[in-house]
Order: sequence, then structure tokens, then C-alpha cells
Amino acid sequence: MLRFILRRVLLAIPSLFGLLVLTFFLVRVVPADPATALAGENATPAQIAAIRHEYGFDQPLYKQFVVYLGQVARFDFGESAYSRRPVSLDIKQRLPATLELTITSLLLGTFLGIPLGTIAAVYHNRWPDITLRILSVAGVAIAAFWFAIELQLLFSMELDWLPLRGRLSSSMDAPPLVTGFMLIDSLLAGRWDAFTDTLHHLILPAMTLSLGGLATIARFTRAGVLETLQRDFVTYARAQGVPSRVLIWKYVLKNSIVAALTQIGLLFGGLIAGAVVVETIFDWPGIGFYTVQAILTADYKVILGVTVVIGVIYAAVNILVDLIHGLVDPRLREQL
Amino acid sequence: MTFWSKLAGAVAIAAAVSLTPQILTPYAYAAQPGTLVTGDNLPANLDPHQIFDVPMQLYSLNEYDNLYRYEGNPPELKPWLAESYTVSPDGLTYEFKLRHGAKFHDGSEITADDVVYSFKRVLALGKGPSGAFKPVLKPDNVTAPDKYTVKFVLDHAYAPFLSAVPIVMVVNQKILKAHEKNNDWGAAWLGSNGAGSGAYILDASTYRPLERVDLKQNPAHFKGWSDNPQAPKEVQIIPTRETSTRVLALLKGSVDMTDSYLPTDQVERIQKAKGVHIEKHTSMRVFVLRMNNTKPPLDNINMRKCLAHAFNYDGFITEILKGYDYDLKKAKAFCDKAKAEGAPTTRPIEIHIQSQLEQTNQAAQLLQSDLSQIGINLKIVSDTWANITTNTAKADTTPDMWVHWVSTYFVDPENWVGQMYDSQFHGTWKASSWYKNPKVDELLRKARSVTDQKERQPLYEEATRLIVADSPDIWVYNTVELRGVTDRVKDFRFSPVGSGGEMRWIKLAN
Repeated sequence: MLRFILRRVLLAIPSLFGLLVLTFFLVRVVPADPATALAGENATPAQIAAIRHEYGFDQPLYKQFVVYLGQVARFDFGESAYSRRPVSLDIKQRLPATLELTITSLLLGTFLGIPLGTIAAVYHNRWPDITLRILSVAGVAIAAFWFAIELQLLFSMELDWLPLRGRLSSSMDAPPLVTGFMLIDSLLAGRWDAFTDTLHHLILPAMTLSLGGLATIARFTRAGVLETLQRDFVTYARAQGVPSRVLIWKYVLKNSIVAALTQIGLLFGGLIAGAVVVETIFDWPGIGFYTVQAILTADYKVILGVTVVIGVIYAAVNILVDLIHGLVDPRLREQL
Repeated sequence: MTFWSKLAGAVAIAAAVSLTPQILTPYAYAAQPGTLVTGDNLPANLDPHQIFDVPMQLYSLNEYDNLYRYEGNPPELKPWLAESYTVSPDGLTYEFKLRHGAKFHDGSEITADDVVYSFKRVLALGKGPSGAFKPVLKPDNVTAPDKYTVKFVLDHAYAPFLSAVPIVMVVNQKILKAHEKNNDWGAAWLGSNGAGSGAYILDASTYRPLERVDLKQNPAHFKGWSDNPQAPKEVQIIPTRETSTRVLALLKGSVDMTDSYLPTDQVERIQKAKGVHIEKHTSMRVFVLRMNNTKPPLDNINMRKCLAHAFNYDGFITEILKGYDYDLKKAKAFCDKAKAEGAPTTRPIEIHIQSQLEQTNQAAQLLQSDLSQIGINLKIVSDTWANITTNTAKADTTPDMWVHWVSTYFVDPENWVGQMYDSQFHGTWKASSWYKNPKVDELLRKARSVTDQKERQPLYEEATRLIVADSPDIWVYNTVELRGVTDRVKDFRFSPVGSGGEMRWIKLAN
């Protein structure tokens, strides 16, 4: 087990390095840099050149890369050219909000998707299956921004049940920052009001973001369960008189879930990408909007910093999913 | 039950309990008395000497004071921290007399030394606001002869100087010096903190770049509050990113003001709704489709005139600046003429738009559809502001055409015609049509050095006539700013400088 983790972590290092090289040169091959925008309305070429020199944009690209690599090795992502704050500070303040949203969506998608997929497989080609098929195609096909606006119109404007935007009501003081996860921090501080307020703010964005993942997980679970139901051990268990409920939810599901679990790992990357849209519509103060802003203004230290951090998280999640595989299916455990 | 299923049950119960009261009692948003929430945009950081754009004015006009300030529409220059000024007959020496007793937020008095420090800091940082001063002002020529006098000696006469003085916000020298690191003039620190004297005080503890700024009323502001006891006690700037959310938040009352780039359908939606209205103000922000005057076929005047006549101005927006009318026949005639003169009119022309600003795309699409009728192939290229401004540093990397606005930063023809068409500014994005006419250069340079406004005016008029005749760009319109506000916001006072961002004039009904 330990050897497995070690091997996976070592394997992740070259892919992260590749990611770093690729992003650095992709971002820097575009001629844009923030110097002109920083110099402002009436800047002279000399002024722009001075700013370019101040930030080191006039150095050869490979030299800039070596300098940058040295910084990253020390977990220093440099300073945003615009906000003048360390990129790591900005990421630290925003990433937990994005993770809180994506993890909630992932849990929502998993804990709804797996039972729904199982039910669909059990009622193969009958109405629950057909309904789910329509819903899951819709779930993948519906544009998140449209769904988000519909949710806002219904739950926030018409029914007045849930807030329209943000992470916490503007009149409410935030709980002291510990983990950056508002739900956890408010519980740690014993602030029940902040906890419920955050939860209300979380519902609509999490519903929007989970839609595509829920559909995917449900479909993969359905396919897995259908396949397992054809297996001999199921027929044998039925013949032995194992109650249907136990058979399906305990034995069949455990044997069919690996494909869906693999999807969860892959989905995580998609969810972080999808968070950009959802965060924009709901004014969720996460990493997505911050990154888009950085791309538009060519603030490349921010772009790189975010890419590296998300790359690390993505790699970690996939290692975790592989470990869960082992927990679910003992046959895979031997390979670990 | 296992531990995990117990935990899952507990979480489910907690969620249900926390939701129940919410479903029973509607999530009605109650506006807080005395607190104004605006959904307008924030600058990239909070240092008014580093960033110089419209969002910065929303912040800096509240946190900081300047020597003179533009108020009203059309904007008028009013004494602010300075009570008066004198200028020497040769137009080189300006002296400003400061008012006595005005205080920074930390309680210390604003003196001439702080003003000198502020101008030196702007010049040393060399960022946004410095452009208007660098060519004419050396740091050593800003001095403080006494505690309440600031003296500027210009390198040569420069008529727009006074109009540009409000650009520089006065910062607290003592605080900044305490936060200097590696001779950075406190630049890293001031990006996330305040050191001003303005009518509102930044709460640095809740500041989040591009996401949130909280301002509290400054009871000790030199202007006092007796003229407006109903001014907002607190101002929260919480930008909304998505137009639809922005308008819904306004209709719900969770923001009191939107930005001023609303598309027509949203404006109509606000006009129909109760409790909110549209503040409509004519601004001095000019919308331009630039042309690279050095690249064939755009180096041909008839080709440029052809494009200028092919733009459907009326179809695009209500108010046209001046110059050209929409006439496809005329456009075709000019294009044919250009072709006869050997201009490669069949080459596809690329127009670069700013992908996050839908209006730039709409303008390009409109021109594209009309041009296709007269056989000109216009290609729309999505681009970003940072990329475009970098590319406009050289003529050969400047796109054929691109779309942008020129906002009002100081009220002088220099802000528009001077910096856009004098060839000495080639290499800056404002002069990125690479237009060169020696006669125009001469007129603009003369206009800049003459201090008598009456003498300057005919010079600018003559230069403008020559420029319009050469048709270097397509001038589309003078922006009308349309902003959604809730009805509890009274006396919204608009000035094209700052786009109505000064909050102290607003009366907030409860």
C-alpha cells in the first residue's frame, strides 16, 4: 500500500513538471504582458520598457523559466503584477471556496448518482430507467449558465427561499478563518447562523455544478450494475434466497462501482473547470473568476500558480480514487 | 448501524434542520439602513498611483482627496484640498495654496510635504497616472516652499497641466514611509491598504482583490457632512460579474447600483420594474473602431472613408459623435476609388475585439455584415485588452483594426484628440492608428504650449477638421451611461470623470 502511494506520487512529479513547462511556454509565447496595461492611458514606450524591465519581462524566456522554477520549488509563486500580493496568498484565500463548492457538488453527484443509476439498472427498460436516461442526457446537455439562471429565477426571485449570489450574506460577519472552508470554520467557531447562511448560499451553485457529474455517475453506475446482474454469482445468490434488497445494494453494487469511481476522479477536473462559469454567475468568491481575470490581463504568474496548484490537487484526487478502488474491491487491493 | 451511516444520518438531519426555518420564512433581503451596496467593478489593486482606470476612480474619489476635483456634468474644476492656485505668465510655474486643517484618516494634518511626496511617488512609480506629467515635470521641480504651498516648475509650457492635476490623489507620507520595502514607495502595501483623507475610510481587514471593498464614512472629513446628513454611512463595493445576476440583485434590492455597461434588454427590464430606475447620463467616453493607417489597404484614404461610411451608426446607438454618415453607396464608391488607386481591397481585414466586452463584438459584426455587401471581407478576431495594447507598441504588430473606448481622465482636448493623433505618441495604444500628418502635429503641439484657452480652441478645431478629412479611425459614439439604481438612492450626482462614483453626494432614503 505504502509502496503504491509512493510510486504514484513519484509518477505524478514528471507529469506536473510537464504541466509547468507547457503552461509556462504557452502563456509566455503570446506576446501580451501586463506592462502596457500597467503603464496606463498616456504611457510612453520608454515607460513601458521600464516596467517590463522591473518585472523581468525583457529577459530571455528560458532564463525567466529557470528563475520561476527555482521559486516554485520553494512553493513561491511570485507576486501578481496587478494586485501586488503574493499569488500564494490569493490562492490560499480563494481555493477553499472553490473546493468547498466542487466537493459539495461531487458528493451531491455521487450520493444521488449511484442510487439513481442502480435503480435504473434494476428497473431496466421500465419507466424509472427511461426517465433517468432522459434526465441524464439532459444533465450532460444542459448549459450550466442557463440552468443556473433558471434556478436563480425560481428559488431566489419567485419563491424567495435561497439567496441569489455570494457565499455569505453581506450583513453577516465571517467566522474566523481557520480552514477557509466556511462550513467547517463556522462550526468550529460555534456560529450556527453563519453555518446555515453559508449552506443556503451553497445550495444553488452546488446544484448547478453537480448536474453534469450526477448524470455521468448515474450512467456509469447503471451500466456497471446491469453487467453485474448477468453474472453467475447473482443467479446463485438469488437461488440461495438472498433477499433482493441485500443482493443489489450490498453485493451487486460493490462489484459494479469501479467504473463509476474512476469517473469521479476524472470528473473532479471537469468540476473545477465548470466552477469558472458557476462562480461567475453566483459571484462565488473562488479561484475560477480570479483565474479568468488573470488570463484576460495576461497576469501569467497567477495563471501558472493556479495551474500548478490545481494540477497537484487533481493528481492527489486521482491517487485517492485508486486507493478507494482497493477498499471497495479486494481483488484490486492485491495489485496495490 | 456503522459509524459512517450514523454520521451520514446526522449530517442529513443537520441539513434538514438548518433548512426548515428558511423554507418557512422567505429569504427576504432587507436593505440595511445607511448602507449602500454597489455592484460596480473594482480596480486590480487599491493604489491610486499604480492603477489608473474607471474602476479606480470609484474607489479613489472616496478614499482619497486631490488638490482640485471635477464635479458635475459637464465637469467643472473645483478647489478641493487646494483653495486656489496661481500660474506665472510664461505658463511654467504653478503654485497651489492648501486649505488649513484638513486631516488624513489617522488624524495628522495634510501638508504641502504630503502633496510633494504624492507627485514624486506618481513620477517614480511610472505607472498609469504618471503619463500626463512625465514629459513636462521632473520630480525635483515639485517643492514645498512652506507648509501650505506646493510649487510646480514645468520643463516647458503645457496647457493641459491644470486639467491633469486632479489625477493625482494625495497620500499620507508618514504611513507610506513606514511601509516601504526595497524602495518600492510602499507600492506592495498600498495595493491592499488605504492611506487617504477622503470622505470614506477603507476597512482593509475585509478587502478582497476584485471582490470586496468596505468603506465607512469619515466623520472628520474637511468638507463636513452638514450639507448632506443622509449620505451613506457605509459603502460596500461588491462587484457582480454576470449581467443577469447583477440585474436580478438590483431587482431584489441586494445591490443598490449596477455598473454602466448594461445591454438594452436589461435596461428595459429595469425600467419596467418597481422600486428601481435607470440613471441616464451623457458621458464623455468615446467609442472608436481603430484602423492601422500604415497597413495596406488601410493606408489608402479612400479605403478608410469607405469603411467609415459602411458603419451603421444609427443602427448601432442613439447618439453619433460626428463626421461620417452611414451610406453604403458612398462607401462602395470610395472602395472602388481605392481599388482603382491600387489598394489591395480584397485582402481580408482583421478586426480585433475585446472578447469580454460584448459591445465591441456587436460593433464589429455590424460592420462585417455591411462590408460583405460591398465585397469587403472583414474577419473578427477575439482578443484581450492586455494582448491588444501590447501589440499596438509597433506598427507592424498592430492589428488592421480594433475596438475600444477612450474614457475621460482629465477634461482637456489633450485627453482625446491630442494623445490620439499627435504622432509623437506613436507606440502608445491611444495613438495606435499610427496616424501622421505634420500639419496636425504642429497644430496640436502649439495648442499644448499656449496657455490662453481662447487661443487653444481654434487650434484644436483646425486639427480636428484635418483629422476628420483624413478619416484615420471610425468614431462611433459618445457613450450614454445607463445605470440601474434602487429608488432609495436619491441625488445620484454624475460626472464623466469618475462616472458618478463619488458617494458623498448621494442621499440614502431608508
